[in-house]
Amino acid sequence: MEPLSWTGSIAFLNPLLMLALAALAISIVVWILGSILLPEAPINVNVDGTVSSGSGLFGLVQTILRYSFFACVALSVAYIVLGILMGTGAGIIGAISQQFLPVWLSLVILFAMSVAFKRRLGLYGKLFDSPIGMIGFGLVMFWVFTGVFGALDLIVTHDPLTQVSGMKNKVPGTPLPSPEEGEYAWYLLGGDNLARDVFSRMVKGAWIVVQIAPLATMFAFMVGITLGLPAGYYGGRLDTFLSFLANLILAFPVILLFYLLVTPEIVATGVPNYMAAVLFIFPILFIGVLLNSRYYTRPNFRTPLLIGVLGIAIWLYLSLISTGGYIVNTETYSIWGLPTYLDLFNIPGGILVVFVSVVFVNSPTVFRIVRGLALDIKTRDYVAAAQTRGEGPWYIMLWEILPNARGPLIVDFCLRIGYTTILLGTLGFFGLGLPPESPDWGSTINEGRRLLSIYLHPALPPALALLSLVLGLNLLADGLREESLKD
Amino acid sequence: MENRTTTGASIHWAAEMHAQEYRDGKLSRREFLARATALGVAVPAAYSMIGLAAPARAATPVSQGGTLRIQMEVHGLREPRLYEWSEHGNITRGWLEYLIHYNNDGSFTPVLAESWETSDDAKTITIHLRQGVKWNNGDPFTADDVVHNFNLWCDGTVEGNSMATRMGPLVDPDTKKAIEGGIVAADEHTVVLNLPAPDITILAGIADYPAAVTHPSLNGGNPVDNPIGTGPYMPESYSVGEKAVIVRNPDHTWWNEGNGAYVDRVEFIDYGTDPATVMAAVEAEEVDMTYESIGEFIDILDGLGMVRSEAATAATIVTRPNQSAEVDGKKPYEDPRVRRALAMAVDNAIVLELGYAGRGKPAENHHVSPIHPEYAELPPLVVDPAGAMALMKEAGMENYEHELISLDDGFEKDTTDAVAAQLRDAGFKVNRKVLPGSTFWNDWDKYPFSSTTWNQRPLGVQVLTLAYKSGVPWNETGFNNEEFDKTLTDASAIADADKRRVLMKRLEEIMQEEGVIIQPYWRSIYNHSRPGLVNAEMHAQFEIKYQYIGFAE
Amino acid sequence: MGVFFLRRLGTMLLTALVLTFIVFFLTNLQPNLEKVAKFEGNARMTDAEVASWLEKRGYTQPLLKRYGEWLGVSKGWTYTSDEGRVTGRCIRDNIPAEEAPQRCGLLQGDWGQSSVFKVSAGKVVSEKLALTGRLMLWVMLLMVPLALIVGILAGMREASVLDRTLSTFSIVTTATPEYVSGVIFIAVFTSSAVGLKWFKGTATQAMENPTFENFFLPVLTIALYGMGYIARMTRASMTEVMTAQYIRTARLKGVSFGNIVMKHALRNALIAPFTVIMLQFPWLLNGVVIVETLFNYKGFGWALVQAAGNNDIQLLLAISVVSVFVVLVTQLISDIGYVYLNPRIRIS
Repeated sequence: MEPLSWTGSIAFLNPLLMLALAALAISIVVWILGSILLPEAPINVNVDGTVSSGSGLFGLVQTILRYSFFACVALSVAYIVLGILMGTGAGIIGAISQQFLPVWLSLVILFAMSVAFKRRLGLYGKLFDSPIGMIGFGLVMFWVFTGVFGALDLIVTHDPLTQVSGMKNKVPGTPLPSPEEGEYAWYLLGGDNLARDVFSRMVKGAWIVVQIAPLATMFAFMVGITLGLPAGYYGGRLDTFLSFLANLILAFPVILLFYLLVTPEIVATGVPNYMAAVLFIFPILFIGVLLNSRYYTRPNFRTPLLIGVLGIAIWLYLSLISTGGYIVNTETYSIWGLPTYLDLFNIPGGILVVFVSVVFVNSPTVFRIVRGLALDIKTRDYVAAAQTRGEGPWYIMLWEILPNARGPLIVDFCLRIGYTTILLGTLGFFGLGLPPESPDWGSTINEGRRLLSIYLHPALPPALALLSLVLGLNLLADGLREESLKD
Repeated sequence: MENRTTTGASIHWAAEMHAQEYRDGKLSRREFLARATALGVAVPAAYSMIGLAAPARAATPVSQGGTLRIQMEVHGLREPRLYEWSEHGNITRGWLEYLIHYNNDGSFTPVLAESWETSDDAKTITIHLRQGVKWNNGDPFTADDVVHNFNLWCDGTVEGNSMATRMGPLVDPDTKKAIEGGIVAADEHTVVLNLPAPDITILAGIADYPAAVTHPSLNGGNPVDNPIGTGPYMPESYSVGEKAVIVRNPDHTWWNEGNGAYVDRVEFIDYGTDPATVMAAVEAEEVDMTYESIGEFIDILDGLGMVRSEAATAATIVTRPNQSAEVDGKKPYEDPRVRRALAMAVDNAIVLELGYAGRGKPAENHHVSPIHPEYAELPPLVVDPAGAMALMKEAGMENYEHELISLDDGFEKDTTDAVAAQLRDAGFKVNRKVLPGSTFWNDWDKYPFSSTTWNQRPLGVQVLTLAYKSGVPWNETGFNNEEFDKTLTDASAIADADKRRVLMKRLEEIMQEEGVIIQPYWRSIYNHSRPGLVNAEMHAQFEIKYQYIGFAE
Repeated sequence: MGVFFLRRLGTMLLTALVLTFIVFFLTNLQPNLEKVAKFEGNARMTDAEVASWLEKRGYTQPLLKRYGEWLGVSKGWTYTSDEGRVTGRCIRDNIPAEEAPQRCGLLQGDWGQSSVFKVSAGKVVSEKLALTGRLMLWVMLLMVPLALIVGILAGMREASVLDRTLSTFSIVTTATPEYVSGVIFIAVFTSSAVGLKWFKGTATQAMENPTFENFFLPVLTIALYGMGYIARMTRASMTEVMTAQYIRTARLKGVSFGNIVMKHALRNALIAPFTVIMLQFPWLLNGVVIVETLFNYKGFGWALVQAAGNNDIQLLLAISVVSVFVVLVTQLISDIGYVYLNPRIRIS
């Protein structure tokens, strides 16, 4: 087998892409300099009532900017399409685009459907009016799909844990020394320090990040909302007490907190299990109160609904917090949990601890945001109207205040997923939490950085992946903010 | 050619015999030197016994003065017998010297002891001290000081005194202190050790880093606060985790004046455990030599123009199941078939390649190194993943999920990851778990399945007694085998390595048959120094004798 | 105002007290104590040795009693060995047992002995804080002006190419965590592989002798990550101000664009960033942990990692006290500054 080059037989596109990129860069620089140095372009009102700004240099630059941008996009698409068609014939890039085929298809379908029905899709549909939001959404969904398909073993070329002798620190595109029948014959992005496939690890890592970060953020939001709404709505002692608790956690240096919670000694004492048991109750409370406050006037409907929903929720809750039949299992004592045959799934100990810690440090911030919003919104007329209608406090909080606070909360949710992703990486960086050999991006970056000065390829793919996902989340949040402000 | 020991007394009969063995090709030069010098033969004499000239000391003229900057971790210091890092000994070596010194070629050279003799039955060891040595507070260095130190070393009641285990039969098992009449000052410069049972390892023990000879006034204190020693240097400042500065002592005349103590100032700078940071420090020209260079960084440092030095050692890493450990109420590794299956599935050469960048020699799962004098060669190991799976099925454990524990960093982690990958290739289920160093060592001997690093020890029986005899404190495998224990006890009483080898062969076989350990490789260790630095070579036991390091003229 | 201060002070003390107790509780759990014993004694001690080691050093007393000792409200422990030698919390080498004070804790100004660094925890913290303070000072000097300039330029004309470019830049910097950017900087600017070698890859020497060469990269790494957030806040507040009525009036009056930005918009646009900048201090305290580890600069963050990794109880307590005060004091300052800059708000 020959080693693969980056672009293989579609190398003829490279100079074109270079040219297009150069034109784009130059026109942006000229444009910026121009807008700072030159006076403002005069605005002409045309006869037909439209407005156009001055042509001349500005117009020219604008045209170049637009066309070079389109050229870049078109060329990138060309790389991907040709890659899908030609596979390894188009070098590493081609092979990677081919591996990502399910992701491309899903993205195309998702975008086509969303754009077609965007008027009926509310805030989500409006996202497709904002280019920034669309780019952000595209990036995020790219990694979500990658994670999902990666978990289904569709994209990966090798097992992320298999080590192949002779592939230690090999550069991208190196063929395997003796591939077996049916085995992918190259390491597309090279081998890492333990001769594992960097590409497959990056893809598998996406699943871990895509799973943990949003889930942990969601739990943090449930905790924050369940506590923040009453704190803001009722105020008084309750507010003082809860705010004090929140500030207490916020005053802790995050790293110290993690060291204290994640060290094996503390885990052995079962402290994180207690925290899990307490923190994960909030979603149940949240759902219970949410449904009860809405339907308490119709007990015939409410009671079965609550029994059904809460039953499932509690079952999930118990499955989540109990492992091997125990909730807390230390050397000296143990607390019985769900018996193993009822236990739906087991979260590996390391991941549960990380999960709990991330939820724990994020909830107070969410609490403060929700509390602030509730303080603001409770003075509105529609809240007063609901109060005079005789609605219960929880109904007002959950069905009047919360929906009206959704804009900032959704934006913060997107940003917070990004921070959580970074936080997970930080934990990996300090070797805390996630199990070793885990392909998650933080740990991979940390392992790769040691040899960065000679081997760039093991550390860069996860670093760029992390960067693009967080960037996507930020852009998505920006897009959502802009669109929700237009209301 | 005249045969002389370090004392001028006649040469020990066993040494003569070893010389004959060397000439017959039964012994390597290294093995011969190790045995002859341990019996009291001086190094040049030992070389001449086999018709070789002793390697000359570096002939490069060394200039006086300068500052030597060494990259090394600076741990919190304590009294020497409690040392648990070679780094501890390296720092105090400039003023707290040792009786004898272990060399890379396996021989011992005198330091504060001028010579030593072992009686024919290996029950009496006579140590002759160097005359005219003075402590840097002016007191003369006498046999009483050495007896005092031996008593300190033998005191097993002090928590963490690792010298007590090295003193073997000198320690009374009941009082945990030195036995009556075991350590005697025969005259002002002679110390006699009377052992109740032959022990061939004590001399190796007093060359180890916790055996620094201290002044009676230290009294359990920190040697930086009370720097009374015999060496030419003294500490100037000491901040843990950052830096230790040692300067030449102007008010003290060293016994070896003129043959060392070249530099004026030695700085040990701590760059943490991350080799990338160490490399950055070298690139930034902030250090003159490294403590240890690891893995890929060896090549990088070579590329930076640093001088590489290598020491092949009997230091190793062992991935072992603990036979007596209980997991969920059963003992998964009690069955020798399970253990053998694990060992059979692992190709030691691949683990060496992936886990340690191929810098060492594959080992044979019995923890006796070719460096050890009594090493017996066994047929090569067979790697057979399919056979391993079959064996595991036979034991009914093919669905068991093994949890393999290691340190969270360095070659320990990489090697264990490589072992885990090999086991998975054979079809076993393996989960990895890493623990930070501060936690790992809390229970290192109790984990059901984990990797442990072992330092080099001069003799094979020494290692086996320390780690695999049933019931000893460092038995991390839970290995408990009557035949093994008995053979080992017999072997330990035999001073002659060839006779010992016969028994050793059986011991090695038992280790393999029982699948006691997976031992992927023997490590070679490396360091780097700037060109022009003299005597900065890597030592097999990580010792840095900075009183002999200097810049070439 | 006085009542306000007193209440804040009270909250601060209460927070510190509760937090230190939590830290004390977590670090004094039995497995952690064993870790301490094995770290200070010998890693390969047996269980019996550990038990006697802990007994001889007062670790077996009840938790509250020992917390009281640390605070200085209850008497320090003493232990008399078989040979009659008295040791105790307040008995140091140079003070004989008879003369030693009965209580020695926080109230007596004694922070206890750090087990990792073998010196007083108070001394470690003050030295490390000075080093980190220097790092933070330079980070602030680089980050704040840069962030304000970027934010103001971007917010001046919303949705222009300049705005888009600068906004993208600031989003990219917030999306690049320190452990990614730091790693890339080290690879690009210091390694022989790339060959630029403009800077040094470690900041160890910068502790004694900071130069541009060895200190710039760590400063840049932190500053870039923190910059994006402030810049975006500044931009948001600037765009809001630029659409305000009085700015429109000024433009209609014919005031030049430059004058509008400098004289009318800036002051009002800086209120929001001020709060954000103050709140960056506690965040910096965390952010430096990564950078100090990466560049081996032995400041506060590095000490935190060492202390936490080795369960250095006294040092961890001292560090939490300091962090709590940094967080709460900066909050206080940001509240006061907010009031000062924005006269419409009054403290209730």
